[in-house]
Amino acid sequence: MTPSSPAADTARARLSEVLLRTGAEDRDAFNELYRLTSAKLFGITLRICGERQAAEDVLHDVYITIWRRASGWEPGRASPITWLATIARNRAIDWRRAQGVRRTSPIDDAPDIADPGPGAERALLASEDTRRLLDCLDGLDAPQRDAIRTAFFDGVTYAELAIARAVPLGTMKSWVRRGLARLKDCLRG
Amino acid sequence: MADPEDIEAAELALGLLEGEERAGALRRVLAQPGFAAAVEWWRERFAALFDLWPEVAAPAHVETRIAATLDGGAAVSTRRFPWPLLALASSAIAACLLLFILVDPRPSVPVSQPVPAARPTSLLVATLESGEADDKVAPVAAVFDAAAGSLRIAAAPEVDARRVAQLWAIGGDGVPHPLALLSEAPATLRLTAADRARIVAGAVLAISVEPTGGSPTGKPTGPVIAAGVLARV
Repeated sequence: MTPSSPAADTARARLSEVLLRTGAEDRDAFNELYRLTSAKLFGITLRICGERQAAEDVLHDVYITIWRRASGWEPGRASPITWLATIARNRAIDWRRAQGVRRTSPIDDAPDIADPGPGAERALLASEDTRRLLDCLDGLDAPQRDAIRTAFFDGVTYAELAIARAVPLGTMKSWVRRGLARLKDCLRG
Repeated sequence: MADPEDIEAAELALGLLEGEERAGALRRVLAQPGFAAAVEWWRERFAALFDLWPEVAAPAHVETRIAATLDGGAAVSTRRFPWPLLALASSAIAACLLLFILVDPRPSVPVSQPVPAARPTSLLVATLESGEADDKVAPVAAVFDAAAGSLRIAAAPEVDARRVAQLWAIGGDGVPHPLALLSEAPATLRLTAADRARIVAGAVLAISVEPTGGSPTGKPTGPVIAAGVLARV
C-alpha cells in the first residue's frame, strides 16, 4: 500500500517504528502499536469471524502472534499495516474454517465495505496501489468483481461463494478465474 | 493472458481453495519458488484492499487480556523452546501412543465417566510423504490431539548432521508457520495456543531441511522433504 499523502507517510513511518521496537520486545511500543492498529484489525476479525466473542478471541491471538513475530517483519518487504492486517485476516479465516462454519449469508454485525467510486473521491482517499486495484476491478463484469471482493473481505471459499450466490460451483469457479485472468492483465498492463 | 498456474496462485492468495485443491496448491508453494512468488505477488496486490476495511473499536478488555497473557507468559514462551528439552518426552511412550491412536482412533475413556461429545472428533492425523517418485524418505506419521493440545510425531527423516528437520504448519493463508525442530526420535510437541489454532483439518504439515537452529528467516529455506494434509479420524 503506497501512501498517498504526507500524512499517510508520517503515519506509516510511525507504525514502522513502533513495529520495529515491538520486535525488540519493547512493551511500550507494543502498546502504542495496539492503539494505532486494533480498530483496523478488529474490523477484520469481526467481519470474517462473524461474531463478536470469536472476533475478540482471535484479535487477542493476533496481537500475541504480532508480539512474538514482530522481529521477523522486514521493513523493505510488506508495509507494516499490510503485514499486521494479513495476520489478522489469516487467523480469522483459520478460526472460522476450524469451526467448520460455512458462511453463506452476509454478516449482520460488521459494517459495510465502502468503496470510493471512480474519480475524485477515490483519488483523494485511496493510496496509489489501492486505486489501481479498484480501477482494475471496475473493469470486470459485476459477478466476477463481486465474487473476488467477497472472497477477500469475507474470507470465503469457492463452495461458500457458490452457495451464497446460488450458482453451481463450476460456474462460480469460471467467473472467478476469468475475473482473475483479466485482473492480472490489467494490473500488469 | 494469465496462465492456469497464475490463476491458482491467485486462488490460494485469496483463500478460495479448500480440501485437496488447497493441499495441492500448498505443496506447490513449498516445492516451486516461482509459484510461491506468484502467490506473494497476488497477496500484495489484494492487500491494497485492506485500505477499504472499516475500523471497529475493539473493547477495552481485549487489551487487558493481551497484557495479562504477555505478563503471564502463558502462550509466548514455547515457540523457540530448546529442542533437547522437548525431546525429553519419552520417545518410547510417544511411539506407543502413536501406534495405539493409529490402530484405534477412539480415545480410551474410563467407563464410569461420561464421554465428552467432542472427543471422538478431536483427533487429526497426517502422513507426511515425499512428493518425489523415487521415494527416499519414509512417510512420517503425525497425530494431533485437539483435546490435549499435543502433536505427536514419529521419527523425522534423517538429515545431514549440520542440518535440522523443521516442522511447519500451512493454514488457510498458504504461509508456512514454524512449529518445531525435529529429531530422529518420535516426540510429543506441546503447541502454543496460536499454533494449535493452525492445526485444523485440511491444513498441511511439512518438514524442511534447515540450518542448525532452524530457518533463520521464519520461512522454509531448505528443501521440503515431506508434506501431508491433516484429516479428521
